[in-house]
Amino acid sequence: MARLEYIKKQYPRTRRVHGNWYLSSYQYKFNVKRINQCLEHLRMGELVGLKCRSCNTVSFPPRLICPKCLKMPDQWIHLRETATVATFSGTYAKESGDTEIRPYPVVAIRQDGADTTWLANLPEGFDFFKVYVGMPLKIKWAEDKKGDFSDIEYYEPIEDPSIEMNKKEEAEN
Amino acid sequence: MGVQPVIVSAGFSEHASKRSDVNMAELMNEAIEDALSKCNCTIDDIDCFINGNMPAFEGANIPELWMTDHMGAKNKPFMRVTTGGTTGGSIAIAAYYAVASGLYDTVLATAFEQQSCGSTTVGLSSVALGEVSIYLELGYDYEKLRRNMGAGAAIGVGAYQAVNYMRRSHCTEEDLARVVVQNRHNAAKNWWTHLKMPNYTIEQVLDTPYISYPLRFGMVTPASDGSCAMIYTTEENAKKFTDTPVFVNGVASVSNETAIVTSEAGGVGQIDPCVQLGAKISAKLAYEQAGISFPEKEIDYAEVYSPFPNQELMWLERLGLFEENTAHIQYREGITAPDGDLPVNCSGGVNSTNAIGASALERVAEAALQIMGKAGNQSPKEIHTAIGHGWGGALNLITLSVLADQSRRKYKGGI
Repeated sequence: MARLEYIKKQYPRTRRVHGNWYLSSYQYKFNVKRINQCLEHLRMGELVGLKCRSCNTVSFPPRLICPKCLKMPDQWIHLRETATVATFSGTYAKESGDTEIRPYPVVAIRQDGADTTWLANLPEGFDFFKVYVGMPLKIKWAEDKKGDFSDIEYYEPIEDPSIEMNKKEEAEN
Repeated sequence: MGVQPVIVSAGFSEHASKRSDVNMAELMNEAIEDALSKCNCTIDDIDCFINGNMPAFEGANIPELWMTDHMGAKNKPFMRVTTGGTTGGSIAIAAYYAVASGLYDTVLATAFEQQSCGSTTVGLSSVALGEVSIYLELGYDYEKLRRNMGAGAAIGVGAYQAVNYMRRSHCTEEDLARVVVQNRHNAAKNWWTHLKMPNYTIEQVLDTPYISYPLRFGMVTPASDGSCAMIYTTEENAKKFTDTPVFVNGVASVSNETAIVTSEAGGVGQIDPCVQLGAKISAKLAYEQAGISFPEKEIDYAEVYSPFPNQELMWLERLGLFEENTAHIQYREGITAPDGDLPVNCSGGVNSTNAIGASALERVAEAALQIMGKAGNQSPKEIHTAIGHGWGGALNLITLSVLADQSRRKYKGGI
């Protein structure tokens, strides 16, 4: 505490420094028009990703700047309707009108043919303890398409041949 | 290479979930008093101050402006460093270079966090808000998006890493609980830590509910108030200040982001969150500077930044201390206990105490104190080389400091 008194002795006057923090001055602009091509294909029931010409990375949903080499990708390529689970977690939430807190799966998927991940929905009431990394999924399209990402209603789990193959290998060993 | 930087002292404040008895400046002063009391250095000997915290978590803009008097920094050079979760690690590196460049002789590196003053949710929402508004614009359903973002932020990153790590290494939730129990037992023997639980058991951890699968309530880090201070100086000054100097032989910081959701140039296109190429590269750079060829044999002590137990296992592997996918087996055998072959996180780690801005500096400070033999929970083993590691969420920045009780070997390559 002796040191505190020393500080007070040395500086009888304090300085006032004016400062402001204009949080509204931070702006982030995202031009939706630049991925219009992707949205138009979604309306037709097709999936397209952006491919970088210099490193061949395909991003879905399209990223406007290539994450690997920081160039502007401009090549649109078609993707398959299947996807695999890249990583997942579970969260506990209370929906509006619900009385109980219920578990929901949070699943990051990699569209087959693309190199990036994004968050996807599983069918209502799917038990997330059954999800595993590498689980194959398939798109379920919405009935009336609006031309945005709500056209993908959810991803449906499909049969996984690798489980039986693993079982066979274990049995052989 | 320039001057050899040396750590002469490190100090902490008391950590708790709410330090309402002090304000930010007084909290900072506690740690500085403790650091100065452990060596013959006075506040007049300090030439430069380096300070930092996680911005916006206290709701105070540039808190240094009114903290300088309580730090004794009036009319002295003052630098602010903030890099999110790794703020402390970046401060340690900034202090290293302030001395190594020859610009200053003695540098006081400090970091603090008083989370009870503000709201961490507000601070973190600024990270996610940009993405959320874009996805709403693209027609993503709000209810579903809100649910998905529930596993976002720091615990989401930890949970994704845990799922992929468990898939690779076949470790179980019991193994994760074992890491937590070891950390909390260590914290009980240390005077400044937050969660002191000397009688915690694996069954108690596994009884608690999930927060984000597979992380349970009993496994996750608390939110603490606290601060840390360290004194860096030159080799000649160190002889005056202390008998047990600790040499900083290598530092590195590498960023490698695994962005699951992003719209522009986020991430490096890496899909598996537990690959952590950045940790491998930073380890290679820092060990090369320190002249360490066989980290698994030469390093005696490790302080890793592990808010979640799976990260402690992952970092130990990625930093080259254990072979890939074998860390949980070493924990079963008790190698990482304070009296084991490779003591890890004797202070209790970030899992027991997490004052976000200060956490990574506390790792370096604790590693230095273990070499000096002045730590709260001192390992009975003789420690010559130790590492202090830091990790930060949004950009996956990894900082690493390699400390030793001897000056570095002659380094052949130039820097």
